Amino acid sequence: MKPTFPTIFSITEDEIDINKLVEQITLTSTGAAAIFTGMVRGKTTREGHAQGIAYAPHDTDYLEYEAYIPMAEEKMKQVADEIRARWDTIEGIAIVQRIGKLYPRTPTVLIACTASHRDTGVFEAARYGIDRLKEIVPVWKKEFTPSGEEWVEGEYMPNKND
Amino acid sequence: MHTIKILFFATFRTRAGMSSMELEIKNGSTVGELKEILVAKIPALEASLHHTLLSINRDFAFDEDVIPEGAEVALFPPVSGG
Repeated sequence: MKPTFPTIFSITEDEIDINKLVEQITLTSTGAAAIFTGMVRGKTTREGHAQGIAYAPHDTDYLEYEAYIPMAEEKMKQVADEIRARWDTIEGIAIVQRIGKLYPRTPTVLIACTASHRDTGVFEAARYGIDRLKEIVPVWKKEFTPSGEEWVEGEYMPNKND
Repeated sequence: MHTIKILFFATFRTRAGMSSMELEIKNGSTVGELKEILVAKIPALEASLHHTLLSINRDFAFDEDVIPEGAEVALFPPVSGG
């Protein structure tokens, strides 16, 4: 019988406790964890674009995150289900988004996947998780810079399979 | 007729000037029809409606979808979490 693998997903205003989350998704059969965490970037040096609008290098004072919490948690569970459908080697999955007012260098998001070994797709699974979170999990951030404040909008338009 | 709850997030909350409202709609109304009703009520929403994400009962919905009785509908821009 296949053991029940832990799946953790949450939206929180609290600090993200990486050690505790990894411990919660580590089984006796686990030998590898791929952990992605994103943090608030205080200095943006590369040029980029959001919604077709170019942005120049700039400084960020802080970000304010908000979420449609019940839907965000349902969509996080969907991301976890999609990971398991693609990589049957994945043991535990943790997906956490922190919301509220967050300053540069502060971790804002974590996605961690565990597996028996590192060559099981565990890196790709974590990468898929953060990419999907940024497409379908309803969370938004408002950026506060020395020159003002602005909502950051994504680009991805969901379809019926999302 | 039936009453639905509408939630606004991010730019939509700012434009609508509120985070939620209740609205009475005709049975069988679609998402596309709801958008027209909302623009008539809240003209500030019009600019962003072509780039709107909309959910019904916490799942993404599209213009042709019929809004079920008592639905929780949410309007928001493409997501920017992470």
